[in-house]
Amino acid sequence: MSENWVLKEGEAVELLALLITSARIQLDEPAHYGPLRLLTATERLSGMILERASEKSREFLQGNVERIPELHMRMSDVDDYAAGLDGLCREVAECLLRHSTLEEDAS
Amino acid sequence: MSDAVLNNIRSRRVVREMSDQPVTRQQVETILEAARWAPSGGNLRPIRYIVIEDAETRRLIRLVSPGMFQKAPVLVLLCLNEEVMIEHSLPPSDRALLIDVGTAAQTIMLAAHGIGLASGPVTSYSKEAIRVILNLPASYSPEMFICIGHKAESTRRGMKAWKKINWRDLTHWERFPQA
Repeated sequence: MSENWVLKEGEAVELLALLITSARIQLDEPAHYGPLRLLTATERLSGMILERASEKSREFLQGNVERIPELHMRMSDVDDYAAGLDGLCREVAECLLRHSTLEEDAS
Repeated sequence: MSDAVLNNIRSRRVVREMSDQPVTRQQVETILEAARWAPSGGNLRPIRYIVIEDAETRRLIRLVSPGMFQKAPVLVLLCLNEEVMIEHSLPPSDRALLIDVGTAAQTIMLAAHGIGLASGPVTSYSKEAIRVILNLPASYSPEMFICIGHKAESTRRGMKAWKKINWRDLTHWERFPQA
């Protein structure tokens, strides 16, 4: 995995605030808001690191994370929402492989 | 009811992406003056409005408000003032108090729409964090933000309807038949 520093301290604290407050408000909100909050955090983190990210991550961040707002809109159709999230999971796995030595070892 | 009022009600939408275009103090005051006319149980007026225009305060509020997608130039926080409840022997659990929040919120959003502004309610925030950031008096309970601004040119946020409904789906006439 690349060892570039991509997150500033202020940005990290902002992300902590989002995660902590999301945990609290989730106690009072419908269960299906859980994925929404996690994806909001994903979107914020992506926005913070995009400019400093390497090419290996940039493709994932630009191609997929930027489409998260559209994914939120599909929440009322659970199967469609799940399919969208599955697609995001596949793409993040591809991104992990680009950062990993696994594929280098295989070639 | 005039067509203008009905059209205002029908065309208002919750807006979750706003532009940087500012909102004038006069526009904010027009909206708050309209809110003063919202119905209130027993005419007790337990709601206090806190207006936040300062950019850094708005940024901090947004950081502890996971449901606030808008970067609105003006935030109005609707607080229940517990001093009013104590004065009138109302328990904080009295549901009529939240009805007051709802009528005030809808009045604010319709007033904003009526003068060409966009709005969106937000209830997903940490009350305790908001208390700290705004240095709220202990008697103020922060119940709802209304974000006010101008709709962004292109908006990608929203939520599709769970199912298509019309008013008839929501209405039952007269008594229910006996089981």
